Amino acid sequence: MSLEHANGLHAALTGVIGAIILYAILSARGGKALFIRRIPGLSAIDEAVGRATEMGRPLLFSTGLVGVDIDTLQGLAIAQYVARLAARYDNRLIVPAVDPVVFAIAEQLVREAYAAEGKPDAFRSDDIRFLSGEQFAYAAGVMGLINRERVASTFFFGYFYAESLLLAESGQEVGAIQIAGTPATTQIPFFLAACDYTIIGDEFYAASAYLTREPTLLGSLVGQDIGKALLMLMAVVGTITAAKGMPLHAISEWLARMLNPGG
Amino acid sequence: MRARRWAIIIGIHVGGGLAAAALLWWLTHLLSPVFRPVHGGALYGAIAGSVVLWAGLMFALHRLPAAVKKRVVIIATFTAGLFYILEFYLPARSVLFFWRAKYHYTNPFSPMIFTVGDAYSVISGFTFFLAAFSLSLVHGKNIAARRQGYYNSIAFFIAFIAMAVFGLLQAYAPAAKVVVRDFLGMRNFTVTARQVHEYLFNDMYVPLNATLFSVLAFYMATAAFRAFRIRSAEAAFMMIAAFICMLGQVPLGMWLTHWLPLSGPLSNLRMEAMANWTLGIVSMAGLRAVGFGILVGSVAMSLRIWLNLERGAFFEQEL
Repeated sequence: MSLEHANGLHAALTGVIGAIILYAILSARGGKALFIRRIPGLSAIDEAVGRATEMGRPLLFSTGLVGVDIDTLQGLAIAQYVARLAARYDNRLIVPAVDPVVFAIAEQLVREAYAAEGKPDAFRSDDIRFLSGEQFAYAAGVMGLINRERVASTFFFGYFYAESLLLAESGQEVGAIQIAGTPATTQIPFFLAACDYTIIGDEFYAASAYLTREPTLLGSLVGQDIGKALLMLMAVVGTITAAKGMPLHAISEWLARMLNPGG
Repeated sequence: MRARRWAIIIGIHVGGGLAAAALLWWLTHLLSPVFRPVHGGALYGAIAGSVVLWAGLMFALHRLPAAVKKRVVIIATFTAGLFYILEFYLPARSVLFFWRAKYHYTNPFSPMIFTVGDAYSVISGFTFFLAAFSLSLVHGKNIAARRQGYYNSIAFFIAFIAMAVFGLLQAYAPAAKVVVRDFLGMRNFTVTARQVHEYLFNDMYVPLNATLFSVLAFYMATAAFRAFRIRSAEAAFMMIAAFICMLGQVPLGMWLTHWLPLSGPLSNLRMEAMANWTLGIVSMAGLRAVGFGILVGSVAMSLRIWLNLERGAFFEQEL
């Protein structure tokens, strides 16, 4: 079996972007004031929890269909923020899991959130459930939970596949306020159509910075923006040099070859 | 002065490189027996040893204070991240790893990657029992308290046990005979465990999956109805784009503009050409822009977790 390894350009590009992000983090730690624009979907989390509490109905949080990876970890970070709010307002947070490892982490996180708010007895271990490792069995389980529990707010943060619309439409049916965020570009249109707020693209990875306003995380966002600017510059240079007849045409060909070693 | 400075810089780089190579050589020699397959008695000994080691490790971890536990997690995260970074970013074949010249991959971490992956599978296997226990507890409570819809929980246990038993039987004793008793008094018949498993999987599980997937079509219609209500300029723009894309994919849409020429400037106004342009140029540009953002965002998030720079939620307190 052949293994994939990075080529020189991959390594250099990741190294440069990584170095920029680290530099921005260290600068922010030095006390530099940083601005972060408003992200409506993340601002609406407090409102969604408050509304559910007023209605006396629980909240539901899904971290998507994959096991432990970067997207799920980001989803879990937001889940704990929601769990703390739920605990503060004496509400229930239901977290259905698709992966046993995610289930174990989610249970610990939500338990810690209730304990941190001084309400460890309000934590119900039954609310953190492993449903199934199969896509549609999981979707059916979550849809059932949404309908039986008549949840007032649903949160979908993580990597989703075809089940995204099934889950979001079930939330619509019970009149839940819905907030979704996913890096899965194919599922963003479904969430846009069915949810009240949708967090798109890299906004998803800005969630922990936005919610905590920690300088370290805000600095990381600045680094991300510089990294994006660098990629945009490369795209512009690539587009110009790729134009037929340009003397620099070879540069774009080399870039394309380096970025697609198997292609 | 300048020459001295350069000599120091070169010395640091060469010395650092040699030290790193020596460390790699030592590490790979130290770890290589772990990644070598064993058979017979040694295999059973290794399994027993792993279980004892694992149980001892878990016991020790549980006894540690919370702050120390977090430190252990940080060190484990950094080490695992470092392993995958070195494996992926160091070249597959390089003269740097001269002592492994006879192997296909001179990168000393590449041969270990499958074993490390297996280790993750084993660890996640433990959590599977935890998940199954949680599921059984929830449904067991439903049955014990005769809660509304408790019969669904009975169905869960029947399905869970049936799939587990016949799943194991078809793997380890596929020819095992199962007598199916006919309660109508016609006649009993015998089937193999593999046939029962195939029936459960192909004739029950697969159709149930397909049924749920097909529900998606109806949900798409209701979601589209809501999405296409024109409430703002953006929504109107989206509806027009969606309308063009949909018409460009179906014969009716193509028929509407079939009278336009197939070539020349006017051909760009044919429905299929407009749909292709919208999907291939406008939409693709947007998708790629989102993709760039996601890529950089995931690099930043990975770095923060790897280097313990993440804050908030489960990374709340700086250690």
